[in-house]
Formats: sequence, C-alpha cells, structure tokens
Amino acid sequence: MIRDIYAIYLREMIRLKRSRVRLVTTIVMPILWLGVIGSAFNSAFKVTMQIDFISFLTPGIMVMTMAFTGTISGITTVFDREFGFLKEMLVAPVKRESVLIGKMLGGVTQSIFQGIVILALGLLMGMKLGNSPVVAVSGMILTMFLVSMAFVSLGLAVASKMSSMEGFQMVMNFMIQPMVFLSGAFYPVSSLPGWLKWGVKINPLTYGVDAMRYFSLGVHEFSLLADFSVLGIFSLVLIVLGGYAFRRS
Amino acid sequence: MAAIELEGLTKKFDGFTAVDGIDLEIKRGELFALLGPNGAGKTTTISMLATLLKPTGGKAFVNGYDVVKDAEKVRHSIGIVFQDPSLDDQLTARENLDIHGRLYHMPGEKRARKIGKVLEMVDLADRADSLVKTFSGGMRRRLEIARGLMHSPEVLFLDEPTLGLDPQTRRHIWDYIRKLNEEGVTVLLTTHYMEEADELADRVVIIDRGRIVAEGTPSSLKDSVGGDVIKISCDNPEELKKAIEECGCEIADEPSLTENGIVIHARRAEELIPRIFDISNGKGIGVKSITYKEPSLEDVFLHYTGRAYREEEGSEKERMKMRMRVMGRRR
Repeated sequence: MIRDIYAIYLREMIRLKRSRVRLVTTIVMPILWLGVIGSAFNSAFKVTMQIDFISFLTPGIMVMTMAFTGTISGITTVFDREFGFLKEMLVAPVKRESVLIGKMLGGVTQSIFQGIVILALGLLMGMKLGNSPVVAVSGMILTMFLVSMAFVSLGLAVASKMSSMEGFQMVMNFMIQPMVFLSGAFYPVSSLPGWLKWGVKINPLTYGVDAMRYFSLGVHEFSLLADFSVLGIFSLVLIVLGGYAFRRS
Repeated sequence: MAAIELEGLTKKFDGFTAVDGIDLEIKRGELFALLGPNGAGKTTTISMLATLLKPTGGKAFVNGYDVVKDAEKVRHSIGIVFQDPSLDDQLTARENLDIHGRLYHMPGEKRARKIGKVLEMVDLADRADSLVKTFSGGMRRRLEIARGLMHSPEVLFLDEPTLGLDPQTRRHIWDYIRKLNEEGVTVLLTTHYMEEADELADRVVIIDRGRIVAEGTPSSLKDSVGGDVIKISCDNPEELKKAIEECGCEIADEPSLTENGIVIHARRAEELIPRIFDISNGKGIGVKSITYKEPSLEDVFLHYTGRAYREEEGSEKERMKMRMRVMGRRR
C-alpha cells in the first residue's frame, strides 16, 4: 500500500520537476502580489492596523495559493484520463485508494512547496514573524496541509464530474475566486459591513487564513480550536466527496 | 488449465449489448487474435478480461482467476497494451518503466535489470533517458509493449497494437510479438487488420456485433470459404483442361474455360501450379501466365456475416479522438 502510494507520488513529483511553467508561475505570482499590491498598500495600511501590510498579506497569499494550486492539481486527473495514464494505474494490481492518496499527496506537496516559496519571499520583503520561527513554520505547514488537502479533493471531485477542461474556468471563477475574496486574505475581517461579514464567516477558507495569521503573526479573529474544527471538517468532507467521485469515475 | 476462459461473457451498456455471450478458451502459449470491425466488441471484451469493466453476465477466468472475484490476482498476472496511448509523455522511457515496475512491486535491482532487458528487446535502449514526448508514434507503441512485459506477465493483451502505424513499424512490432510468444507468453490481440491476424495468430475468432461468427486457424478459416483461385492463360485451353483433369491432382471442382484460359479452384494452389507447368511442358502447350489468389480473411468475414467489412465508422471515431487529444494538449 505504502509502496503503491509512493510510486504514484513519485510520478507526480517528476512531473512537477519537469513542468517549468508551473515552477515559474510559483515564483512570479507571489512576486506580483507581494511586490505590487503589498508595497502599494503598505504605508496606508500601517496607519489603521498595528502591523505592516506585507506581514499581513503574506499568510493570505499563501492560503490563496493553496486554494488555486490545490484545485488545479486535483483537476489534472482529467488529463490523466484523457491521455490514458489513469488506465495504466487502474489496471495495475494497486488499490484505487492508493492511486487517490498518491495523487492527493502530490498535489499537497506542490501546494505547500509554493506556500514556502511565498513565505520566503515575504520574509525577504520585510515580513515580521510574531512567533518563534519553529512554531510559525510548523504551524503554517500544518494549516497549509489541511487547506490544500481540502482543495485537492475539491479538484478531484470536480474533475470526476468534468468531461473536458471546459469546466475548469467555471470552477475557478465561480467557486475558488469568491472563496478567496471572502476569506480575509487581503483585508482584516474585524470591521466589515454586515452582509459581507456573514459571507466571510460562513467561508471555511476564512478560518484557514485566520490560523495562518495565528501562527505567523500571533494575530487572530477566532480561536485556534474554531479554526481547526472548521478546517478539519471542511477537509474531511471534501476528501470523502473527492474520494467517492474518483472511485466512481 | 487454460490461460483464458470465457463462459457466456456479456456486457450491456444502457440498452446496447456490446458483448453478447462469448464462449472461448485460449490455451497457454497460444497467440490468439480477436478479429472484427471497429465496434464489434473487441475492446470491451479485453477491458473485462483486464478487470477494467465488470461483465453484466457470464464468467471469465484469466490464469484461473475469476476476473470479478479475484481482480487483483488477475491484474498481477497480466500485461496490457491499450489501444489509446497510456504513457506519461512528461516522463522518460526509463521513468515510465520504473513507475510501472514499482506499481507491480518489483524490487529495485530487478526493476533496473528488467528495464534494460525490455528496452533492448524493442530497440529503445539508446533512448532510455529521452522524454516520451519526443518519441514517434511507433516508438511510443514499442515502449508500451515493453512496459506491458516489465513484470513478466503470463498473459499479454494487445488491443490494436499496430493501429495507425506505418507498414515498416508494423513489421517490427509483429516481430516482437512473435518473439515474446516464442518465449512462452500467451498473447491475446485484437485487430481489425485482416493481414495482422493472418500473419501472427495461431488461432483466430472473428467477432461481429458482440458475437463470435467464426473460429479456427487462419488457414482453416480460409479453406472453409473454398480455397485458392488459379487463373491460367494459354494457347490451347481445352487440351490443357483435359490434361489437368486426367492428372489426378487435387482440385476442388471442375476447371472452367474462359475466353483464352482456364480457372481452377484448389485447396493448395502452390502445389498444383508446378504440376500444371509439368503437364503443359509435356504436352507442348504454351502457357502465357498463371496467377493465383488466396482467399483473405476478408472473404471469410464476408462469407460468415454476409456483409463487407465496415471501416468507415471507426475512422470517423478515431479522428474525433485525435481532435480531442490535440485540444486537450493546447492548454
């Protein structure tokens, strides 16, 4: 079982290493977000909040990346189906679950790797940690794991229902982007107008962003228990959903 | 024990019966061909044997294992080369084979050794570390065959192994298939190329619309439709005809006279033709030309189904598949 998962995982890692486009995107996107948006708002933000915007934004961008990268890597199973490699895995004496877990872990690794690149960039640009580096980094990795696991599963669930790559834009525009915009990744959620506040509160991603700020900055809106309860349930539901959809496809 | 056994194997999709109660027994070491037009149910049959599809009726055993109850054991003991490409083209040839070996639980050292061996066999050893996306169609197919052999399966399924390949590459692939069959691997291949079944198979079943319509060796099937046709063009047809009738040669029916020659049906034209030369020489009859035509499996198909072989639908489907692939790759 472990060997099977590893074989599937190994392939995902080789593909990741080969894909220059993905690696370049990994570096360029956070530079744009942190460099342009972060710097632009930095001075104005500090006046109203106690922290600078780069420190505030970095955990948010990390969570946003988990959501985007996770979903995309889940959806790449569609490629496998279209190009036939999925058949090679399904005809091997390997349990479906191993294929599923191997693919999930591949997507999670890629997401977390991107998250760490963003963290490094944020630190280079003057992000200040509010916790000891060990606590900050390990806590953030744990949070990233939960968030990316949820979104990889979401991607898998969507991919199993999709017959082509057409649906991909739909999912990104109508599901993932609203979730990211309503998560407090880019703004503090403490003083929002009523309707927006509710949108933010029922969004599971909000709790991911909150947990990330808890570990990195020591700043938070909700309790850590609330954050992890919501994230845990959210991930679990999506893993079950994604797993079920994958098995049936 | 038979390598493959089918008992009334059936697969129905909503309202459509793709495979309709096939009974079949394939012995160990046989090179067996399922021949039929596109859409006859060949791929569906192979998919059930390879445990990718569940039958809706009947039973099938591969290496003695039930394809439904012992699916995992079946998967361990078979290799399969799919009709559609199933390599990862972002990986090198070696990496594709290595992942395959891992999925079949081959230990590291054995894996490395076997990779070298199978690549050698399909003449790809010098391209082991090239990315598969740089490979031509023929090279990819060879690599797929190599991969199917990685874990030393007892039974190898080949679904249209030479579809869309040029004649030279096809010959090569036929050579590999023969070679590995000689090494004791039972091979079940599907094809809609008549000459492929003819060239390779010990035994053939012709399937059409999910049913077996004929079964036998290629030559017995061809014999069943009446044997070879010999056409002789000569100076004195009547005299030659008479002489041939009197020689006691094995001919199927009475030779018929045409405008300037004779037409003869015979089981073994290749043995009869030298005799005809002897006779004509003996009688001093000048022979201008002799041609003979073997019946093809195509004639067999026509004979058993009453229909010409349909090719068109399939190629339309193929074109669509290719289009989809190109579209997918652009993103």
